[in-house]
Amino acid sequence: MNASYPSLHAEPLADTLQLERVVADLGRMYHERNQALEDVTRAHHEALLQLSLAAEYRDNDTGVHIVRIGFLAKALALCLGKDEAYACMLGRAAPMHDVGKIATPDAVLKKPGPLTESEREIMKRHTVDGARILGRSKIPLFRLAAETALSHHERWDGSGYPAGLAGEDIPLSGRIVAVVDYFDALTMDRVYRPAFSIETSLAMLTEQRGAAFDPIIVDTFLANFPMLLELHQYVTKNRPALEELIGPC
Amino acid sequence: MAAKILVVEDQPEIRRLIRMTLEFEDYEISEVSTAFEGIEAVDRLQPDLLLLDVMTPGSMDGLDLCRHVKRGPAHNGRQPSVILLTARGQQPDIDTGLAAGADAYLLKPFSPLQLLDTVKQMLVGA
Repeated sequence: MNASYPSLHAEPLADTLQLERVVADLGRMYHERNQALEDVTRAHHEALLQLSLAAEYRDNDTGVHIVRIGFLAKALALCLGKDEAYACMLGRAAPMHDVGKIATPDAVLKKPGPLTESEREIMKRHTVDGARILGRSKIPLFRLAAETALSHHERWDGSGYPAGLAGEDIPLSGRIVAVVDYFDALTMDRVYRPAFSIETSLAMLTEQRGAAFDPIIVDTFLANFPMLLELHQYVTKNRPALEELIGPC
Repeated sequence: MAAKILVVEDQPEIRRLIRMTLEFEDYEISEVSTAFEGIEAVDRLQPDLLLLDVMTPGSMDGLDLCRHVKRGPAHNGRQPSVILLTARGQQPDIDTGLAAGADAYLLKPFSPLQLLDTVKQMLVGA
């Protein structure tokens, strides 16, 4: 090699090599940071999901209701043409929609008869309490979960709570979860009544089309009912582990 | 499937640093050094995203390539996103680039973390 001519394939300069070392280290730190963020999110998610289960165990001894709500909300979102990312996140957020019930007194939550006016007001607080527990997080999942908790008792006709929103002013998450929550609750035994049959539950849901619920969402639910019912029964039978409801989509 | 990124940058050291940075994520990265080569590479690779240096040598610059890509046929139903790399003080180039359809721009010397964030944002929004 003739040293007087610079080679086309000259070795990189020492400072370039040093810079590349710095970038390589940056890459390692970047991965460690992302992993740490994921771990923190996961731990936070698990805690909130356990809290939601604790709330659920108070008036339903299996906890499978909120697992079904997650699966059904995700499936219904996909049927509505929403993208996989939104549907998956809603599926993760929906099981936490009733976490605010952790703050509802037993005398109200477990009362077998009809609620008095003041008891109903106490019951209604679980939406706001839920949103507060889920917090104003920077993490999109918990923002969606808080939105769902706050809005799942709004009604399409504007007569719901806590804000009395109507129509598409109600966040989509709340409109979807309202439908699957209503249907799923009807199919369960409660302290104050036995489970309704599938046929009766569907008739009751249809009756609320355009009243309590977004008509398009009810129509989509009905159009895809065989698949949703199969999913409902699959979740009840197989009881997916909590881990399946946690983690990045 | 890993997103495909085409880097058009004439300085080999910068190109290498860009590649090293993008390799923090699971992307499929290709490089060319001129906008002219970029045209051929876009057709061949059908990238999801282009990272274009505005000032590349030759009769064609990054802005020409940006225009070409944004006017060209869509791959998989969409055109690739374009991020421009410009030196500080090239505001007219940035304006021209955004008018030519570029989706974002980054100033040189580029910040690796900003590059990763911008790329991720573009690919998610795509």
